[in-house]
Amino acid sequence: MTVVAKVWIDEDCITCDACQDICPEVFEVNDETSQILAAVRLDGGFDRNEGKSPLTGDLGAQYADIILEAAEACPVEVIKFELVSDGAETEIVAEAPAVEVAVAPAAAIAVGGSASDELTAVLGGDRSLTILFGSQTGNAAGLAEKTAKLASNYGLTPNVVDMDGYNKANLASIKRLLIITSTWGEGEMPDNAEDLWQSVQSDAPGLTAMHYSVCAIGDTSYDEFCKAGTDWDDKLSSLGAHSVQPIQMCDVDFDEPWTKWVLETLPRIACVDDSGTLQLELIDEMAAYGTSDDDDVVEGDFAPGHVDHSDIHVELELFRYCPSQGENGWDVIATTVPASASLEDLFINFQRDVDGSFAFRRGNTAGTATTGVRANGRIVLADIARVGQIVNNGRLRIEPLPGFPILRDLIVDTRRFEENRAKANPWVQADPREGERLISGKAVGVLAAETALSLHNMNAISSHLLAHGMSDTVDFDSAYVGPGIHLQRWVRFNDPRTSMKHRSQLLATLQEQGGVWSETDPSSIARHGSSGALVADTLNSARSRLLTEYKNAGRHGRLVKWYGRSVKWSGKLNETTLYRQVLGPIGLISNVFSGVSARMMLGFTRTGGPPIRSLQALLLPPAGVGKIPGMINSKVDDHHEVVSLFNELDQRF
Amino acid sequence: MQVAYYPGNVARGAMMEIEDCIQPLCKTLGINLIELPKATSDGGNIIRQASPRLQHALAARNLALAEEKGLDIMTSCATSHSIHCDTATTMAADPLLASQLNNLIARSSNIEYMGESKSRHLLHLLIEEIGLDKIKDAVLNPLGMDIAAYYGPYMQRDGFCSEDDAFNPSYLETLITALGGTPVEYDSKCQSVGSPSLLTNEKTAMKMTAAVLSDAKQSGAELMVSACTISHANLDSYQVKAGRVTGKDTTMPVIHLAELVAFALGHFPDRLAQLRTRVKIIGG
Repeated sequence: MTVVAKVWIDEDCITCDACQDICPEVFEVNDETSQILAAVRLDGGFDRNEGKSPLTGDLGAQYADIILEAAEACPVEVIKFELVSDGAETEIVAEAPAVEVAVAPAAAIAVGGSASDELTAVLGGDRSLTILFGSQTGNAAGLAEKTAKLASNYGLTPNVVDMDGYNKANLASIKRLLIITSTWGEGEMPDNAEDLWQSVQSDAPGLTAMHYSVCAIGDTSYDEFCKAGTDWDDKLSSLGAHSVQPIQMCDVDFDEPWTKWVLETLPRIACVDDSGTLQLELIDEMAAYGTSDDDDVVEGDFAPGHVDHSDIHVELELFRYCPSQGENGWDVIATTVPASASLEDLFINFQRDVDGSFAFRRGNTAGTATTGVRANGRIVLADIARVGQIVNNGRLRIEPLPGFPILRDLIVDTRRFEENRAKANPWVQADPREGERLISGKAVGVLAAETALSLHNMNAISSHLLAHGMSDTVDFDSAYVGPGIHLQRWVRFNDPRTSMKHRSQLLATLQEQGGVWSETDPSSIARHGSSGALVADTLNSARSRLLTEYKNAGRHGRLVKWYGRSVKWSGKLNETTLYRQVLGPIGLISNVFSGVSARMMLGFTRTGGPPIRSLQALLLPPAGVGKIPGMINSKVDDHHEVVSLFNELDQRF
Repeated sequence: MQVAYYPGNVARGAMMEIEDCIQPLCKTLGINLIELPKATSDGGNIIRQASPRLQHALAARNLALAEEKGLDIMTSCATSHSIHCDTATTMAADPLLASQLNNLIARSSNIEYMGESKSRHLLHLLIEEIGLDKIKDAVLNPLGMDIAAYYGPYMQRDGFCSEDDAFNPSYLETLITALGGTPVEYDSKCQSVGSPSLLTNEKTAMKMTAAVLSDAKQSGAELMVSACTISHANLDSYQVKAGRVTGKDTTMPVIHLAELVAFALGHFPDRLAQLRTRVKIIGG
């Protein structure tokens, strides 16, 4: 039998969450590193366990398999462990102190309509509301978020908590609790709720100080309709908790019953005062308070966008890469999923049901910048992209975000991007400038609202990493730092707070090798939705400025200048002029020796046409692209109209 | 049916074989091409780099010229199609800009673009207006080759590619099947080959070109057909150079969509014979 004696995390964790996904009982990942939970450690610490504190009790045996699985799945192999030798007796040790679960920062209490003294008293003190959700496809999680948004109207401080990894010991300290859960399969808990549910089956704390209500989502076509919700309702009641509102059971069209439940429940649970007493006589006033028309009240979304509840059959192709074996390939499975499920929901299910070593970055269901993947060719954030919007003819092909080295499966290495970003120096380096004085006398700079809005709009994309992955060029030019970084440079250049010296530096880096001219094809970026179009437009603005600043210098400048001139001269592009002017004599000769001209002269790869056009290249080498075009274009009809447009809009040509 | 024919920047220049083919194929399929003798270059996304407004004005004027005749524009060039689509959608979304552009072209040409005329790519027109059944009936020389379809990125954008999927297109494959060929699936069919930077970032463009060609070749293609006129130059004339830069196997005959259809419909049998020979020698 395998028993893990100690487990710890080395430096350089990339916070991919794989360990936490596989073994949440032992690992918890924050913004910087994975950590070993206090509850499993002899020393009760909560860090990387650099001191190599042993695991408590028999946890080393209980969790051995999944600790080893997590270590195997770690893309950067920073999870280290020691095994107890076979036959060795494990020491019985005291229970470690209970782990403290970090509570999310309290949201600001909304100030609703006017309130009586009694209501004002209820609105004071501890106003925390815990909303626990059990969710398989994201529907219950979405309702929990919407419930939290509305709860603020009633002076509550909501905290939405995933049941996954939740410590049952914290239940006893909860004064107000709402549970929103779906039911999975034949009356089973959703995957993220299963552990907590099992843990409260034995040795659950008394909950006599708790007021609660449950909203259950299910499907009446199943025998065990909303069983997960009714189980929780029964359990909380049996532990002494007080129901403020009977359980609401919702069918697949859950919006209407949820709305009814939330409007009836929130005033009631909001009337639980600081001492934990339900003030029944204030419920009507609280309901009016929470739904008053005061401008400060947060509006709930009672007319949510269309939610597609249909199930779709998907042939899922997942890219896999194992760094230790240096092998890559595709996992292909057929599955049926709700059309409204996110890609991340799919990944989670795949990891839990098919292969625990599958690695991907988790998000927060609100568009996490690091969850980028390529799904059926589209560059998307996996935590918000919906399966139904992406699947094509039943096929869903998932690849890592392009433009980055792959660490494992869908996890890419963003270190070079971050290094380049640091070198790009897109931070504020301001000159002294005019400003205002605060009442305290301290001087501060000011920025006009329209300028701030303009800068924001220039940069209004969900992720610079995604912008980087949209470019087809970055994989082929190691010097090119990519559109995501140039976008930040250009925004800082346009920031009026930026010093003149810094602006000059930024402009120079945009012009140099690896700068905006290294992007070979902005169309490959522009096609990626509104974000892609914004990035491409912004890079184009940078190019326009550089052409003016550097007076059409270099090949790029000559290309634009002569392209425009040839169109102005005749209304048509003259390719011969373009090649001659942009490449120059040396570039032209190089085409002769590289075989490009020869291929055109011999007509070997082209399909034909009058041979004389091929032979022209012998007389006037080289030919540029294809059959040599005319040296002089005939003019389009009414050519003066074209000249007029050029003269009016851009006289540089 | 009638359309306003816009040949693009190169079909009557370096890519005369496209012009050679598009005229007879349209005649066979009953597409009446109406010339726009006043139409200009659309700016090729190059003029845009100096002045986006000037490029929009050129494209808006072309659209207005077609609108004056009550026709949609039809082009065989993916870049031209995307530029005209971009101007049309930008003007529809930004009435102030539309008004300014219309003032400009009204002063210069006494016309305005009211958003009635649209740009159509030859591929979309063949599939959606002519129909695969009619095309299949008109085939005289079934192609009988394994063909990789290359779309490029320019028109593969939501709203620009008609009813086809922007990121997983299939129109060209269905057309190949209708013409008696066998479409070959490969990953890079919408990847850019860097053609706008062929003259300025040639090395990178060569690497991108080689990646597409070698992907198609490794997937079993013996011939590539391009829906994009300008990418055609990279994929064809520069393929040996691309192979030399990268060390990849890039040799493969590459033809344009207009040639493929014309050959199957019985035009230029000598060129088709020449193509079959080249497929035997360097294809596969």
